[in-house]
Amino acid sequence: MLWQGLMNGLSAGWIYVLVALGLTLVFGIMRTVQFSHGEIYMLGAHTVYYCSVAMGINMIASFGIAAAALFLLGVIIERLLFRRFRGQIEPSIIVAIGLILLFQTVAVIAFGSNEKTVPRLIPGVLTIGEIRIAWDRVLTMCVGAGAMLVLFAFIKGTKLGQAMLASSQDPEAATLQGVNVNHVSAVAMGTGSALAAVAGGLMGSVFTVEPFMGSFAITKGLAVIILGGMGSIGGAVVGGLVLGLVDGVVSLYSSMTMAYIVGFALIVLVLIIRPKGLMGGD
Amino acid sequence: MSRKSVANLALVVVALLMPAAARGNEYYLHVYMMCAINTIAAVSLRSIAKTGQMSIGQAGFMAVGAYASSILATKMNLPVYWAMLMGGFASMLLAALIGFPLSRIRTVYFVTVTMFLGEIIRLVAFEWRSVTGGSTGLESIPPPAAFSMGILHVNFANRIYFCYLALFVLLFVILILYNIERSHAGTVLSAIGQEESLSASVGINVASYKVLILCVGCFFTGLAGSLYAHYMTVLNPDAFSIFTSLYVLIYVVVGGRAFAGPIVGAVILTLIPEIFAALKEYQPFVFVLILFLVVFLLPGGLTDLPRRIRESAGRTSAGEAG
Repeated sequence: MLWQGLMNGLSAGWIYVLVALGLTLVFGIMRTVQFSHGEIYMLGAHTVYYCSVAMGINMIASFGIAAAALFLLGVIIERLLFRRFRGQIEPSIIVAIGLILLFQTVAVIAFGSNEKTVPRLIPGVLTIGEIRIAWDRVLTMCVGAGAMLVLFAFIKGTKLGQAMLASSQDPEAATLQGVNVNHVSAVAMGTGSALAAVAGGLMGSVFTVEPFMGSFAITKGLAVIILGGMGSIGGAVVGGLVLGLVDGVVSLYSSMTMAYIVGFALIVLVLIIRPKGLMGGD
Repeated sequence: MSRKSVANLALVVVALLMPAAARGNEYYLHVYMMCAINTIAAVSLRSIAKTGQMSIGQAGFMAVGAYASSILATKMNLPVYWAMLMGGFASMLLAALIGFPLSRIRTVYFVTVTMFLGEIIRLVAFEWRSVTGGSTGLESIPPPAAFSMGILHVNFANRIYFCYLALFVLLFVILILYNIERSHAGTVLSAIGQEESLSASVGINVASYKVLILCVGCFFTGLAGSLYAHYMTVLNPDAFSIFTSLYVLIYVVVGGRAFAGPIVGAVILTLIPEIFAALKEYQPFVFVLILFLVVFLLPGGLTDLPRRIRESAGRTSAGEAG
């Protein structure tokens, strides 16, 4: 029983890591107060649904289309909205709130508020001894883990990744080093949004697709990166797994709601005692 | 009397007359009631946020007030007037408990903490079925007791009296918060909001002041929640979602920095969905448009508009100066 709970927790944990993926880049590394990130995730999920289910395009292509479309959207909102208030927290928060309302309204009008189901990506269940785990959850775990590795390699290893880090730490110094901060910010927002789209698409098949699924993503995503430490990709992994395990274990003995309460209370404690999080620097 | 005082007095008179004018029209009275409740929450948030404590968890404090008041009135048969006050105190107690730890947290993290706190409160209300009724919530919440004063027979079965109760609470809240702002304490609070480290270095007990205004603001916010509960007679956790908190913040931001800001913001933004109700699901677009217009063109909020107009008028008439 406990092992199943831990396994559920681990799979939930990697899902949270996946959901926090783009947010780590946008909020954690670029320090943009993008509270509407959850809505980007939601739009990605809807795009995947409409491409694959309504239009019959194959899954991989659907994900590709969603990633590309949301990349573009990310670049647009950075250019038009967030760039103006870069560094200013209060206006950025208000802009993000406006975007949340905007995207949700668009989704309700364009897609309707009923729940839609994306067919399971891989049907069936993996059984190891007494522990059962659905194959599509295994897939999301692998994508989550893989994507984190790729993101880590990107930030540490590529010039663009390092440029992103530099421009968030000190835009002026970065500019002196030849970094085009505007360009980098736009690409970062676009990439983060594309990652959110992929996460949304995967989650849409594990759960359901509806216009209000974004609040789950932003609250869990924020919880993950705060627990793990802003700016730290390894921290996002640790944060996600810890949160997932808490959810998995607590829901064994109590309810899922109770698990959420415990998780959020943990975050509040972290913010009070050590806002840097488990592995945050700075 | 100064021009401003006359204008304010006129507004109060209008506010007093409106429910009477709308007598019998349940819809207008409902909108008036919601305006009043939202304004109480908005004015309170502005005072709190002036010290740099930008909270997106106010719905949580309203929920505490609403549930505390309702439970005391239904399960413990406390007279509703006392129950509502206790609702305010319950909310204030929560603020006092978390206020000191919260006072040390920097802006971005503070916003996030309040978001999670609001969510925790909502989830607790959802989960604690035995006390809060869970997702179905509470019902048959009693209104305040009827009374008579001479020829005046106040019976809260009639919405109009709720409107006047809310108005009086609002005027009381405005009176208190305005006087705090104008007092020495208000100057200190303003200083903390502008330059926290500098304030601390001149010997101001920043934490105590922040907690103080948080407690006062949350007391009133809890009171607003109590009013809401007894007015609606039913209560469930959906009313206190993160969106409720976000709307309260939007009222303050769109209204502007001035004391009248949240009042203007709350009233206008409560009316907008009603005015544009015919647009149905497209209605939030109006909201979003106003929000973006204010953020981009009018950062000081709607109350800044007269000043902006005066300034640009002054510029054009003065022409090129030396």
